[in-house]
Amino acid sequence: MDASLLTVQPAAPEPIYRQIVEQLRRLIAGGQLVAGELLPSVREVAGFHAINPMTVSRAYGLAESEGLLERLRGKGMVVASTRRSSQSASHRLSLLEPQMQALVRHAGELELPSELVLRRLASLLNK
Amino acid sequence: MNAVLGESGLGAPPLAARGLTHCYEGSNVLCGIDLELAPGSVLGLIGRNGAGKSTLIRAMLGLLEPLSGAACVFGEPALKLSDAAKARLAYVPQQPEALAWLSAQQMLDYVGRFYARWDKAFAKNALQRWEIPANKVMAKLSPGERQRVDLIRALASQPELLVLDEPAAALDPVARRELLREIALRAGEAGATVLFSTHIVSDLERVASEVAFLHRGKLLMRCSVDETKERYGRLRLPARFASFAPAQSLSRRRHDDGGLSLVVERDTQGQWPEAASLEGARVDALGLEDLFVEIAE
Repeated sequence: MDASLLTVQPAAPEPIYRQIVEQLRRLIAGGQLVAGELLPSVREVAGFHAINPMTVSRAYGLAESEGLLERLRGKGMVVASTRRSSQSASHRLSLLEPQMQALVRHAGELELPSELVLRRLASLLNK
Repeated sequence: MNAVLGESGLGAPPLAARGLTHCYEGSNVLCGIDLELAPGSVLGLIGRNGAGKSTLIRAMLGLLEPLSGAACVFGEPALKLSDAAKARLAYVPQQPEALAWLSAQQMLDYVGRFYARWDKAFAKNALQRWEIPANKVMAKLSPGERQRVDLIRALASQPELLVLDEPAAALDPVARRELLREIALRAGEAGATVLFSTHIVSDLERVASEVAFLHRGKLLMRCSVDETKERYGRLRLPARFASFAPAQSLSRRRHDDGGLSLVVERDTQGQWPEAASLEGARVDALGLEDLFVEIAE
């Protein structure tokens, strides 16, 4: 993987470390990054995007704790080979928390009754 | 003697100020500033023009004697810095004026001799990359070119403490990005401590680990960049709930329709103030620039 695969928007309200984790999550889910693939070093990412290396370390650390990445001794970070389902359901659910909070907020703004939203959500989930 | 001083400086913060107060012609520029930088941190200082950023920087480095309060560099009183401490520090003012009768090349050759860790190759490359006429007398360079030469001087000395006053003003976007890369990597890898003032907030968001808002001589806020983004938001309340607005907010604005906009903070459990859950209320995430505009108005 190349550092240019990541994009960084410093002015966005979302902290840069979260932007990086979110992109890793999507790249891995979308298959652009496959298990065992080596990630660019902290220095490469920080240098390419002119961002603080601590920010990159923090992103990698978080991605590791989420099971997205694994630290290979002497090599660096690679995409984790363990399947997602090996993590507890509550942990995986917690990854959805921001999207769910946003959904709840939007539903509130549209003054939609929760029943209606839940019914639609259920039908989407059961597809 | 120096060795003893050096040891006493170990563990001391690279830069610290306590109760700095200063005024020009009767008006207060600094009103009791406390500020400390941990080793390896990159602190971005933002504030409007005239907020006192340059004065604060100069007072912290001992280039200006404050009315009251004190500053320390590597644990030594800033006003009486030893040569050893000075050699570990590099400062780039907004308008460098020193040694203007030399060419950039001559100046760098000359000052390079005083630094044990002078990076000659960096100085040479940077002169080319930043398009400085190396043999022209510096007095004849534009202010932007002068500041670039001074940035090269500061970076080539490989300082442990790097202090830059509005470094971005003199650089085009490409050179600015290069400077930010240098700042980021030096802090992250060499463990250098960096203080820089800027009004370009996105620069700060890239490389700074912490941000300090200076407004009318006071520090309004000092926080990690990530935490600031996660902790503060803009709460909009419809007119009918305006009276439920939390008493504590960093700024408060009333709209023409009677609604309110407030900058609010999450509590220790990460929750927004109660009013955020009222019907029709909403909390929006705030970028640093928005936050700065909201609280500095």
